[in-house]
Amino acid sequence: MRKLSQLAVSAEGFVFNPATGDSFQVSQTGLTVLDGLRDGLSDEEIVHQLAEEFEVSVEDARRDLMDFHGSLKSFGLE
Amino acid sequence: MKPLTIGVSGINAIDNPGPGIGVARSLKEDAELEVTIVGLAYDAMDPGIYMDWVVDKSFIMPYPSGSGDAFIERLLYIKEKVGLDCVIPNLDAEIPLYIKCARTLAEHGIRTFLPGMDQFKLRGKDHLGEIEAKIAVSLPRTKVVSSVEALMEAVEEIGLPVMVKGSFYKAYRSFTTAEAVSHYHTLVAEWGYPIIVQEVVTGDELNVVGLGDGEGHSLGLVGIKKLSITALGKIWTGVTVKNEKMLGAVDEFIREFKWRGPFEMECIVNGDRLYLIEINPRFPAWSYFATGVGVNLPSRLVRRAFGLPVAPVPDYQAGKLFVRYTYELVTDMTTFQNAITRGETP
Repeated sequence: MRKLSQLAVSAEGFVFNPATGDSFQVSQTGLTVLDGLRDGLSDEEIVHQLAEEFEVSVEDARRDLMDFHGSLKSFGLE
Repeated sequence: MKPLTIGVSGINAIDNPGPGIGVARSLKEDAELEVTIVGLAYDAMDPGIYMDWVVDKSFIMPYPSGSGDAFIERLLYIKEKVGLDCVIPNLDAEIPLYIKCARTLAEHGIRTFLPGMDQFKLRGKDHLGEIEAKIAVSLPRTKVVSSVEALMEAVEEIGLPVMVKGSFYKAYRSFTTAEAVSHYHTLVAEWGYPIIVQEVVTGDELNVVGLGDGEGHSLGLVGIKKLSITALGKIWTGVTVKNEKMLGAVDEFIREFKWRGPFEMECIVNGDRLYLIEINPRFPAWSYFATGVGVNLPSRLVRRAFGLPVAPVPDYQAGKLFVRYTYELVTDMTTFQNAITRGETP
């Protein structure tokens, strides 16, 4: 959580990690997930937010969230 | 404030650039310092000689070898000719001579702001273990070797791949023992003994430029990540970073060893592990990056060396981008002719 809160995130989804110099781009969905995690929402709350905002099933939203957690791990952010 | 004449070496702004132009440019950007920059060049073709908006006048220097008598004589000649107040040496090969002669130069009114010889030796690739023992950094497993047999034993012990490094310059990654032996011979032929064999560590390669006051305090630090490098391994684009672990270790280094003068620390950060790769006892070629983000280290060095007011250590923002670019100038032959025939520019 501390690592995520340190990230610089633009409204367009450009993400910069000031501790490592890494930068990456997230989609609108990714941005919603990232904002949710940085705001301290639970996974279930984020899943329901995704399902509502992007009109997808809860199962799809849950899968997307799991994928996103995987990406965060690969960037050393979780 | 009294106008100052500052000698700056490493004005070879070529594909493997020396730090001098970035240092000189930084000094010129301190609006309160009235400086004349004297370029100390080793080649009449050093581009800095021709960059008259950064370097006011240049002199060709003898190589800093042997006892250094000719070198000192040349500096004293420059002092007599244009009034040299201070020198900022920026090339590895000349730093030991400047350290050795610092007192003599000071007696002639030429100031330097450098580490002592003990500190200088400490940062040698074969002495980094002493730093690891005192500050919160790890060293990749390292063996110092001076024979092929010892090299092969070191490779066996560390395990492939390994980095094979010269004690001053150059490092090669080796994936086989045969490759390591070949790099060993290349490095010995070019830079002599000893050779360093080191474990390959992975992670984010981060660098810091810093300035110590010699009493255990930092006069400024900026951390960066190189985003792209040239075929010679030199930075082309980079970004400022704030890695607490790395900046903390650098502060600790300055405090613990009372480092005096500029330095560059190269690190690899992997999660919570901070590996120390190298310390260079001078400004790096990308020093202007720090100036560009508000931490003008060359100016702070000169101010400190002359007892002028030095503002509190400035902060900088992470996420600032550095982009190097190429540029050309066209001039007549006069400057070149003077550099060749008289050893100095008009």
